[in-house]
Amino acid sequence: MAEELLRLERLNKSFGGLHALVDVSLSIREGEVVALLGDNGAGKSTLIKVISGVHKPGSGQIFVRGAPVEIKSARDAIELGIETIHQDTSLAPDLSIARNLFLGREPVFWPFLGVFAPLNIKFLKRAASDLLKRVGISKKLDADAPVRTLSGGERQSISISRAMHFFAKVIILDEPTNNLGVEETHGVLRFVKEVRDAGHSVIFITHNLHHVFQVADRIIVMRRGEVTAELVVAETDLLTVESIITGADVSELRASAKGKTMKTAGSR
Amino acid sequence: MSAANLQGAIRTPEFSSLVILCVITLLFIVGNGNFLSPLNISNLLAFLPELGIIALAMTLLLTAGEFDLSVGAVFALCPVLMALLVQDTGMDFALALTIGLAVSALIGLCNGILVTKIGISSFLVTLSMLLIVRGAALYITQGFPLKSLEIDHWLVAVLAGDFSIGSFRLYASLWWFIAFTLLAIYILDYSKLGNWITAIGSNRSAAVARGVPADKVKIWLFVMTSVLAGLAGTISALRISSASPVAGTGYELEVIAMVVVGGTALTGGRGTILGTLVGVFMLRAIRNGIVLIGVPGLAYNIFVGAIILAMLVLHAVLQKNAMGGR
Repeated sequence: MAEELLRLERLNKSFGGLHALVDVSLSIREGEVVALLGDNGAGKSTLIKVISGVHKPGSGQIFVRGAPVEIKSARDAIELGIETIHQDTSLAPDLSIARNLFLGREPVFWPFLGVFAPLNIKFLKRAASDLLKRVGISKKLDADAPVRTLSGGERQSISISRAMHFFAKVIILDEPTNNLGVEETHGVLRFVKEVRDAGHSVIFITHNLHHVFQVADRIIVMRRGEVTAELVVAETDLLTVESIITGADVSELRASAKGKTMKTAGSR
Repeated sequence: MSAANLQGAIRTPEFSSLVILCVITLLFIVGNGNFLSPLNISNLLAFLPELGIIALAMTLLLTAGEFDLSVGAVFALCPVLMALLVQDTGMDFALALTIGLAVSALIGLCNGILVTKIGISSFLVTLSMLLIVRGAALYITQGFPLKSLEIDHWLVAVLAGDFSIGSFRLYASLWWFIAFTLLAIYILDYSKLGNWITAIGSNRSAAVARGVPADKVKIWLFVMTSVLAGLAGTISALRISSASPVAGTGYELEVIAMVVVGGTALTGGRGTILGTLVGVFMLRAIRNGIVLIGVPGLAYNIFVGAIILAMLVLHAVLQKNAMGGR
């Protein structure tokens, strides 16, 4: 069994009287794709915000590679190798691809000048072109083009490749296939597999169960702030997972699915 | 490559602004030959840097997605405070100037903290600050312009000394403006800070997620804007040897107009110092030229407003076409 990268122990978080997270414990191993599922309000995004340093947990402990850590800011999370990629919110549309790739970690001359240090623009562009080529999305993309000229799928791929480039150990994808076309969705899913094959771990949040069965190794289901199930993808099926998420009886679901072609799954 | 680059350059808002500036200048030259006379150019260049310096700071602030309406009031308060300290307490000029600029910095700090930490929009915060600062300037002077400033100090020459090149009479403020322009171009386009400023204005949460200290950057930009507004006001007061509590009334809007006419987006993320330079020249040239070609004084704001509006329409249309092209 691969080494454990990230472990959460009994995390609690409440906002006023609302218990957003209740004793959440889970672990992520090296090189696996874990799908985090649950209906709206199940606590998925709160959990992600705690891991990525946006919220502080009320109680509980986070371990990275077995060592207890405290994640107080986005910067802390990034330095621990945890990168979160939100749909459409992880890039600055007015900056070029190259400048986005290195945002917050700009290569500079004379670093003693602090924030006034001049950017090493040549290096920035070369590294960006190399990176685009390496992850196979170089086709027509110019590292100088502003991100606002890219499609949604291209933006996702760039965010993900940025995380890979900076050796993120855990990449959290928050609904990465939302608003993407069919072709682009396949591109992103293929990319997720490549990320895993390169040895990174992925936490994949989605409402689309078909995507889960295409790329995930393991499924963690949350309901009302609690982890209600952990499943291995190879040992389960779509209807079972759906019933766990919604709390419906699996035999009823099977009965209603019979005779109909199954077009949609999960709650959209 | 060069053809594509050229085409790209022509499509930028600062280029279209430059073209319009040339057209307007040409019209003024045809309308009145005196537009290019040494006296008129000297007048234009005496006043232009004072607003220009504020416009540079405002460009950086707007690029980060905020703006500052209190600059006109700070433009008055800083020199008034300095003049009062020198005239009433006999304080050394350098110390009085330092105190004036420190108060300006404090005003910027308040703006920055209220906007970022309390989360009130910069429009409301700086509008209130405009009233407070202007009110303070009026109160401490009891509403009257101060006695003529007669200060004998080497710093006065550094800030507002004049010199002649041929038949042009120029002021030291022009050097300050050139130096600040170069510095602003460097910061916005070539430094790490510029990358952060653009990222914050473009998508704040993305910048924060990458570890960019967005609030800190914004607070410092507010401080810088306020200090430069105070400095510009001081330069202006020293040049005309008079500090007035009502100086700089309406400058906040004129400066913002200069910046957006140059192509900087009011909503943040897109800023251009070269565009601001064009905008500064354009607004000053319009104000100056419209009088020279004989537009009645009371009507001239109509023209200024109409030209600004036309520029903004042009930018919006160009922007739309550029987006549609992809």
